[in-house]
Amino acid sequence: MLGRFKRLWDAKPMKTHYDAVIIGGGLHGLATAYFLARNHGLTDVAVIEKRYIGFGAAGRNTAIVRANQRTQENLPLYKEALDLWPVLTRELDFNLMFYNCGNLNLAHSEAALKAMRLQVASAQFQGIDSRLLDAKECRELVPALDISDRPRYPIFGGMFHPPGGIVRHDAVVWGLARGAAKRGVHIHQGTSATGIGVEGGKAAWVDTDRGRIRTPRVLNAAGAYSAGLANRFLGQRLPISVLTIQAMVTQPLKPLLHHVVSSGAYHCYANQTLKGEIATGAHMDPWPNYTTQTTAHYIKHQAEAVTEFLPCLKGLKFMRTWGGLADMTPDMAPIMDGHSPAEGYYLDCGWGYFGFKSSTVTGKYMAQYMATGECPEILKPFALKRFEEHRLMGETAALVDYTANN
Amino acid sequence: MNRLKHLPTLRITPGAARSFTYGKHTFEGLQGDTVATALFANGVRVFGRSLKYHRPRGLYSLDGECSNTLMEVDGVPNVRTETTPLTAGIRVAAQNVMGRPELDLLGVLDAFSWAMPAGFYYRMFHRPARVWPLAIQQIRKAAGLGRLSPDFRMPGRFDEIYPAADVCVLGGGPAGLSAALAAAERGLRVILLEARPWLGGAFEYRAADDGDGVALHRKARDLAAAVAARPEIRVFTQAPAIGVYSDGQVTAFQRGGPDQSFDERYIEIRAAAVVVATGCGERPLLFEHNERPGVMQPACAQRLARTWGLLAGTEAVFSVGHDLGLEAAVDLFDLGLKVAAVADIREDGQDPTLVKALAQRNIPLLKGWVARKAHGGNRVTGATLTSVNGRFHRRLTCDLLAAAAGLTPATGPLTLAQSQLAFDPHTGYFLPRTLPKGLQAAGRLLGLESWAAVTASGRRAGLQAAADAGADCQAAIRESEAALRDLPGAVRGSKFVIAPGCGRKAFICFDEDTTVKNVDQAMAMGFDVPELIKRFTSAGTGPGQGGIPGHNLPLYVAQTGLSPDAHPRPTTARPPLVPTLLATYAGAQHDMSKRTPLHDLQVACGGRMERVGVWTRARRFTDDPRCRTEILNVRTNVGLLDASTLGKFLIFGPDALKALQRVYVSDMARMTPGRAKYSAMCNDDGCITDDGVVVQTAENDYYFTTSTARAGVTVEWFRYHTRYDGWCYHLVNLTDAYGVLNLAGPKAREVLSRVTTADVSNAAFPYMGYREMAIHGVPVRALRLGFVGELSYELHVPSSYMPALWDLLMEAGRLEGIRPFGLEAQNALRMEKGHLIIGSESEQRTTLHDVGLGFLWQREKADQRLVGAAALMQTERQPGRLKLVGFKMADPSGPPPRDGSPIVDARIRGYVCTARYSFTLKEPVGLALVEDGLAQEGARLAIYEDGCQGQLTHAVVTPYPFYDPEGRRLRQ
Repeated sequence: MLGRFKRLWDAKPMKTHYDAVIIGGGLHGLATAYFLARNHGLTDVAVIEKRYIGFGAAGRNTAIVRANQRTQENLPLYKEALDLWPVLTRELDFNLMFYNCGNLNLAHSEAALKAMRLQVASAQFQGIDSRLLDAKECRELVPALDISDRPRYPIFGGMFHPPGGIVRHDAVVWGLARGAAKRGVHIHQGTSATGIGVEGGKAAWVDTDRGRIRTPRVLNAAGAYSAGLANRFLGQRLPISVLTIQAMVTQPLKPLLHHVVSSGAYHCYANQTLKGEIATGAHMDPWPNYTTQTTAHYIKHQAEAVTEFLPCLKGLKFMRTWGGLADMTPDMAPIMDGHSPAEGYYLDCGWGYFGFKSSTVTGKYMAQYMATGECPEILKPFALKRFEEHRLMGETAALVDYTANN
Repeated sequence: MNRLKHLPTLRITPGAARSFTYGKHTFEGLQGDTVATALFANGVRVFGRSLKYHRPRGLYSLDGECSNTLMEVDGVPNVRTETTPLTAGIRVAAQNVMGRPELDLLGVLDAFSWAMPAGFYYRMFHRPARVWPLAIQQIRKAAGLGRLSPDFRMPGRFDEIYPAADVCVLGGGPAGLSAALAAAERGLRVILLEARPWLGGAFEYRAADDGDGVALHRKARDLAAAVAARPEIRVFTQAPAIGVYSDGQVTAFQRGGPDQSFDERYIEIRAAAVVVATGCGERPLLFEHNERPGVMQPACAQRLARTWGLLAGTEAVFSVGHDLGLEAAVDLFDLGLKVAAVADIREDGQDPTLVKALAQRNIPLLKGWVARKAHGGNRVTGATLTSVNGRFHRRLTCDLLAAAAGLTPATGPLTLAQSQLAFDPHTGYFLPRTLPKGLQAAGRLLGLESWAAVTASGRRAGLQAAADAGADCQAAIRESEAALRDLPGAVRGSKFVIAPGCGRKAFICFDEDTTVKNVDQAMAMGFDVPELIKRFTSAGTGPGQGGIPGHNLPLYVAQTGLSPDAHPRPTTARPPLVPTLLATYAGAQHDMSKRTPLHDLQVACGGRMERVGVWTRARRFTDDPRCRTEILNVRTNVGLLDASTLGKFLIFGPDALKALQRVYVSDMARMTPGRAKYSAMCNDDGCITDDGVVVQTAENDYYFTTSTARAGVTVEWFRYHTRYDGWCYHLVNLTDAYGVLNLAGPKAREVLSRVTTADVSNAAFPYMGYREMAIHGVPVRALRLGFVGELSYELHVPSSYMPALWDLLMEAGRLEGIRPFGLEAQNALRMEKGHLIIGSESEQRTTLHDVGLGFLWQREKADQRLVGAAALMQTERQPGRLKLVGFKMADPSGPPPRDGSPIVDARIRGYVCTARYSFTLKEPVGLALVEDGLAQEGARLAIYEDGCQGQLTHAVVTPYPFYDPEGRRLRQ
C-alpha cells in the first residue's frame, strides 16, 4: 500500500461513442458513473468535466452528513446515504473518513422546538435515531455552548442525531473516480459539454469542445450549471436559482467540538474537521449569482453568529473563507427526472444545500434509472412536474424564496 | 542576551523591561519587543513543534507567514508571537508539544515520516473497519496546534469602524507612502494601512544607501514623517489588510492597546481607488531540513539585529539569490556576526559594490551555489552547500543559516481584487497582468528595487488612483510615468532552484509538513495541477495558508514539466489574508433585536420576555407555562396585549387599489368606508404568505396590517409584483412608527368608553368596524376585531403615545380586572377560536384552500392578474394535499399532544400544528394539517409523539372553531 504511487485514475483518449455520458465531474456525476459500472455492468461511460473533478460544490461544501430531514420522501434517501459511507469506504478501498460524531441542531424558540419535534418524531417513525434535548443536555454534549440568557437568541433545546457526522469530501471525489475508472469509466477533465443532440425524440449525442460523442444516455449533473445547460442545450427551463454560499475555517486546534452544532436562528453551523479546524457556514448570499466570490459582510456575520452560542470561539482566528454555488429550487428539494424533453436524457440537480450528503445514494438510484430506463420508486417524488402542479415538497416549513424577488 | 546598542534603527526602549512567563520561566523583554523577539532574547530557539512530524520549529520570517512561532498566549491559541507586541505579565506556552519544545516525546514521529506519505490517511486506517473509530480519536488528537478551553471567554475591547476614503493604500513602505502623498497632494482623502507598528516597509531598517550617502532608514523615516504631517492621510499602523473586494471595499483589523479605546478593531473601508503596495517577502529556499531552528530568512536575521538589537547567531552561512541577501550578510557582519560563507544561486549579476564589500570583509562568495542541507536537531550546527549543477559540495559549521531564494511579491491583495497574475521570467515574480478598474499596484511587488524607482512607482500609482477617484491629474501622471522610465526598472530575479538531490525533508509547506517528495508522490498519483496537489497534500492549507508554499508550489510543479497546467499561478489566496480573531470580526456585536414602546412597562408587570423573530416580546405574565389566569381573564373580564409588532402600512395614490387587487386574494374594490376587510396574500404557488385587515380611510387611501413576520418584506412584495405596471401609488411602512394595543374581553367596551368620548356602542362601532377617535387627545385608529374570539378593540397609535395609552387603559380597567396577557395566552385563545397563525397552521407548501380560507379568493378578479391566481385555480380541488382540521382527543382526560407531532398510519399523514388544553372547554383541542383522506369530520387520527416508542395517542377530527362557533361574542 505504502510506497506505491499509482495514478488514481488514468487519462484515457476520448472515444466517439459511449453507452452513457455524464455531464459534470462532481460527486453526483462520479457516483452515478461508479454505480452504472458496478451495479449495472454499464462500463462504457464517460464523465465530462470542464475543470477538474471536484472543482465545484463537491470540493467546496463543508461535508456534513445527516438523515434528519423533514419529509418522509427525503428521510429514506438520506438514511441510505448515511449507511453507504462505511460500505463505500470498504468497497472503494479508499478511506472516506466518515467521522460519525452526530449532529446537534439548536432550537432558540418555541416555534423551533415544535419544528424539531416534527423532524425528530418523523425520523423515529422511520427508525432513524434522533432525539430532542433540553438546553442542559445540549451543554452536556457540547460544553462550549452558552445556555445562559446572555445570547440574543438563548438556547431552548436541541435535536440530536447520533448517526450523522462529517465525511472528507475530497476523498469521496477521488475514491469514486478511482473506483469508476477501475471499472472502465473514462473521466475527461478539461472538457466542456457544448450541446446535446436529439434524434427522433431520443438523446443521441453530446457535443464537447473536443468533439462529438454519440450516446443513448445523457445525465445532466452539472450542479449549479445544470439549469443553464438544460436551457441552452434543450430549451428546458428549470425552476432553479443559483446562489453563492460561503463557508470558512479557523486555524486548526486540538479537539474542542465533538459534534456538528447548528443553529437555524443564527443561520450557522460549526464543526471541527479531522484536521482540527472549526468549519462554519450556512447562509446563502440573498441574491442569485454565478460567482464564487466571498463578501466582507458574510465572514463578519458568521463570526458574530457563531460566537453568540459558542463564545469561546472568539479566541480563534478565521484563516480561510471560500464560496461555492448552490442550485436552489423553490422547495429546497432536488429534481431527479428523466426522459423529458428527450428520451434517454436524465436530470439530477437542484440540490442546493444537500448535494454532498445525498451524492452517493443518488448516484446509485440515478444509475438504476439510467440503466433500466425505469424511475426507481424512491426517486419518483422528486420529479420536475411537481412544480407545474404547485405541489412543493415541504422540506422546509418556513417560506423560502431564493429567486430574484426575495 | 546582550542587545546591540545605539543603532539608529532600533525600536526597543532599553531599560524599559517587561516581564512575562514562558512555561515555568519568568523572562524579561523590552518595551518594543514582540513576544517572539523577547523569547529569542531569552535564549528560546525552539518555539513549538510541527503538525505532523513534531519537528522543532523556530523563528523564520518575523512576519508570521507560517505557524513556526504560533504559541498560546493568555489562553488564546495560535497567537503569532512574531507580530504580537510584548506586554507585561502575559503567559506564553508552546503548542503541539508533549513534554518541552526542546524535548518533545512525539518528536520520534519525524523518523517515521516515510510511513506518512502524501494523502496517507486516505489509504490507511480503514481496514479492518473496526480500526477506524479508534484511529479517528488518535488523528483528532494529533491534528491541530493550539488548545482552547470550552469555558474560555475572550477578554478585551473589540470595536469596528467603517471609514470611507477616496484612495486606500495597502502597505506603508516607500511606494505606499509616496502613493498616499501623491493622492493627498491632489486634495483627496487617503487611508493607508500598514501591518507593522511603523512605516517604512523593507527600507526602514536598512543602513545601506543608494549611493547618495543618506541611509535608507533615514529616508524611510523622513517620508513617513511627511505622510504623518498630511491631514488628508489617515494612517493605520498595526493594521494588516485582510480582504480586498470589488468596488474598492477593503477590510483590515487594527491592534490597539491601553492607550486606545480598543484592543483590536475591525476596519471596513470604502474607497474609490485602491493602491496595492504590499512589497515582497523573501521566497523560501527549498533544501533538506530547510526549517530547522536556526534556518531563517536573511531579512529576519537582519531585522532581529537592526530593529531589536539581537544577533541571530554567532557564525552564519548565507544562501541567497538576491542582492538584499548579500546586503544582509554585509550588514550583519558589520554588527558582529561571523559569516562563514555566502552562497548565491546566481552565477553572475550581483551588485558589484556588494561583491566588493564581501571581499573586503573576507567573506567567501560562492556564485552558483545553494544550500543543500541544514545539519543539527534543535539548532542548526552546520550547512552543506552545493554548486547548482550538483557537482561540488562543501560542509560548513554554523549556528545560523540565513537562506532565501530571492524575493517574492506579496500578491494576496491583488488576487483578492480579481487581478490576473502571470509568471514573469525576468523577475521570477508573479506580476499583475491585468488590474481591475480602480486598482493600482506599485513598488517592490513589481520587481523594482532602488529607492528612487520604488517611490516613483508609488507616486505614479497614487496619481493614477487619484484619477480613478475623479481627480484631474493626467498631466501629472504622464510626468510621473516619464520619471519612472528614466529610473532602473524591474531587477532580474533568481531562477527557481531546488538544490540537487534533496526532497525527502525539504519542506515546501512548513505548516502541514509537506515535503517536495510529497508533491512528487501526489503528482505520481495523478494530482497534477497545483490546486489539486494543494488539496491532496494539504500544502498551503495550514494556519499560515499560502504564506510559505503559495508561490513555491506552482513554481515547483511547473519546473517538473509534468503538469498540464502550463501557466503557473500562485495558489488561490482567500480572505482573510492575515488570520483574524473571531472576536475582531464580531466587533462590537450589538444586539439588533427590536423592542416595542411597551417593553419596560411589560417587564414591570412581570412580563417574561423572549426573542421572537426580530422582536423581543412578552411570552407570558406569570410562571404558569399554560397561562391559565391570563386566558380566563380574557374570556371573563378583559385583557391587554401589546400587538405593536404587527405590520402597519399606508398605501395611497391613484393606483393604490390596483396594487391591493394584485396581491390580496379578495376583491378589494368592494370595501365599505368604516369597515375593515380581512384578506390574505398568496405567492405564485397559491400558498398563503400573509393575512391581515385592510381599511379604506379616504378615496385612494388605505391602511392595512400584515402579520409580524411579513412586515419587513411587504413593501418589496408590492413593488416586485407591480414592477412592470408603472402604477402610481405610495407605500409607507408604519410598523415601527405605530404601536398597537389589543383590548380584548367581554368587558372591553366598558374600559374603552371610560377613556374616550367617542361612541363605542355596538351600534356605533360594530364588529369589523374602523373608527378614528381620540383618547385624551391622542389620535387613535381603532379596529374592532376578534383574533382571540372576544369583543376586542385594536388601538393603533403613534409609538410615542403607547406607554401613556397603556397606563390609561390599565387604570381605566382596574374595576373590570384588566390584566396584560402575552403571546402564549393569545396563542391558546385564538386557537380555540380556530384563527390561524401563518407559519404555525401553515407551511411553505400550504395553499389558501388548504387552510380553509379559499372563500376569501375572488376568482372574478381575472383582469387584476392576482398573484397566485393560476395556482389557486389549479389546486382548488387537487387531491393528496395537507388540509387544516380541528381535532379533539379520543380520551379527553389525557394531555394534549405536543406541537409538531406527526399523524401516522403506515406512513406519515400529517402533523399537529397547535394543541392546548382548553381551560374554556375543559378538554384538549388542537389544529392539525392532515392528508385530505383524513380531513373529514369524525376521522380518527393516530398521533406519534417523539419518544413514544410506538405508543400512539388518538384524536378525532372535529369542526372548528371550538369556541363560540357562531361568533356571538365578537359581535356582542
